[in-house]
Amino acid sequence: MEQHVQKQPDSPVPFFLWRHLNTVRRLVLLLVFCLLILLPYISLYQNFVAGHAYDLLTPHERRIYDVMEWLTAPIARSDPANNLNMIKGNTWSGTLFGLKLSDPLAVVGQVAAQFKLYWPFLLTALLPVGLTLLLGRFYCGWICPATLLYEINDAVRHRLVRLGILAQGRRMDLRLKYGVLAVGVGLSTALGTVVFSAIYPPLIVGREIQYWVTANGVGAGTTFFLLTLLFDLLVARRGFCRYLCPGGALYALLGRYRLVRIQRLVNRCNDCTLCDKVCPFALRPMRDAFGQECNNCTACMAVCPPRALTFRLRIQDQPDQGPGHQGPAHRRAAVRVTAKGEVA
Amino acid sequence: MQRRRTFLQTLALLLVSLGVDPAGAVPTATRNLRYLRPPGAGPEERFLTQCIRCGQCGQVCPNQAIRYFGLENGPYSLDTPFIIPREQACILCMKCGEICPSGAIPRIAREAEAIIAQVHMGQAVVDQQLCLSYQGKTCGVCYRACPLPDVALKVGLLEQPTVLEACVGCGLCERSCLQMPQAIRIFPHRQTSLPV
Repeated sequence: MEQHVQKQPDSPVPFFLWRHLNTVRRLVLLLVFCLLILLPYISLYQNFVAGHAYDLLTPHERRIYDVMEWLTAPIARSDPANNLNMIKGNTWSGTLFGLKLSDPLAVVGQVAAQFKLYWPFLLTALLPVGLTLLLGRFYCGWICPATLLYEINDAVRHRLVRLGILAQGRRMDLRLKYGVLAVGVGLSTALGTVVFSAIYPPLIVGREIQYWVTANGVGAGTTFFLLTLLFDLLVARRGFCRYLCPGGALYALLGRYRLVRIQRLVNRCNDCTLCDKVCPFALRPMRDAFGQECNNCTACMAVCPPRALTFRLRIQDQPDQGPGHQGPAHRRAAVRVTAKGEVA
Repeated sequence: MQRRRTFLQTLALLLVSLGVDPAGAVPTATRNLRYLRPPGAGPEERFLTQCIRCGQCGQVCPNQAIRYFGLENGPYSLDTPFIIPREQACILCMKCGEICPSGAIPRIAREAEAIIAQVHMGQAVVDQQLCLSYQGKTCGVCYRACPLPDVALKVGLLEQPTVLEACVGCGLCERSCLQMPQAIRIFPHRQTSLPV
């Protein structure tokens, strides 16, 4: 109690950019999504350049050709058929300006499937794993193309709940997804193939866009993805990401001792609980309970009225700091203690 | 208590999933689908363990020959790349091996020796009843289309084709054959122990 009473110097206002990071993050998500749409068109354009006379393209194909020629001019230079091969793929595994990057889940799945280490492939996951060790589950909030669609879905859901059309949705055990990860690894070993690729939303989104553009149709993944959207809408808020995604589980495990953490400044906090309500992953920032699952999406920072959330470089969360010093609970406690103090 | 029960449930599911033998339960490939894997891919079973279904080979293929399975070839083949040579054959540019991150399609130099030694997509077979040249009408289109002329495919009198050992099965001959149904076709080399 004693330490609550002591009038601590007010923490300085957190860096002004932190509360706008959520907007920045949405722009990044949008950028990744646009890139995923662009890549199959680049592939079509390369095909036209490599093997077709411009005169023999249909008007629709010519439009693709012209737009892509204009868009890719800075990196394609004089040889689009070869130079554009430096950006390919999707977030599951891709080539970004010649650098091969893979989702750690792809590596885990493949190792489980073939029980052999293929080093060139393992190394492609090095950078993502390193960044996850530092930043935690950041992939989920900052890159995953499915997150963009899930967040739009969640916004729709929020409005429908407010109108009374949808129920609040249930809460499940957040540890369910670690089970999904374990079963997925087991199945990959048993079946001798990477089973995650059939159920991993970011991969499905990237691939289905590719099928839509280059093969003029969608595959089995679209059905699955629509089912996950329905699950989020009808059963649990952000349900797939929270409770089922094996990639999220792997990233959370890797990010357990992440260095970059969001922290509550207890002497600025006023216990308004907006952060607990807004957290897409059902964490409780107001109880300092971020844990391994926080993806630094900064949604809580963006809504916090007294700006009581900031970034800290620590490998562990602060233990529960109790009620915020600007909140009624703390004030009541303080008044009680001072009263006692006067008596003594 | 709660924690332990979740763990035990997970463990049980894992054991069940390990114990299930799917080979008998799920059909892995249909008998009547004649497709090739991208150049350099190993035996079907190994290919399926290595391929992570990222779709980069199809993006990089300049000929748009590589396409992807839905469920029509069984759940194992879902989203894996394949080539139907009659529709669009492989031009052996070897770009898919260069981009493939997982080693499912190995990196092979774009040289005749390396390709002959390491690419085993299939083998061309000539049907002499259908082949125009064998029916007395000089054709030779397959020979003109072959990327390894006189090494993989040679022609004799009246341009009658004979397939040689070095054929890698790219399918350009099948793609270009004038006859319908085609007189030369690729028989895929997919030594597989998976049930077909």
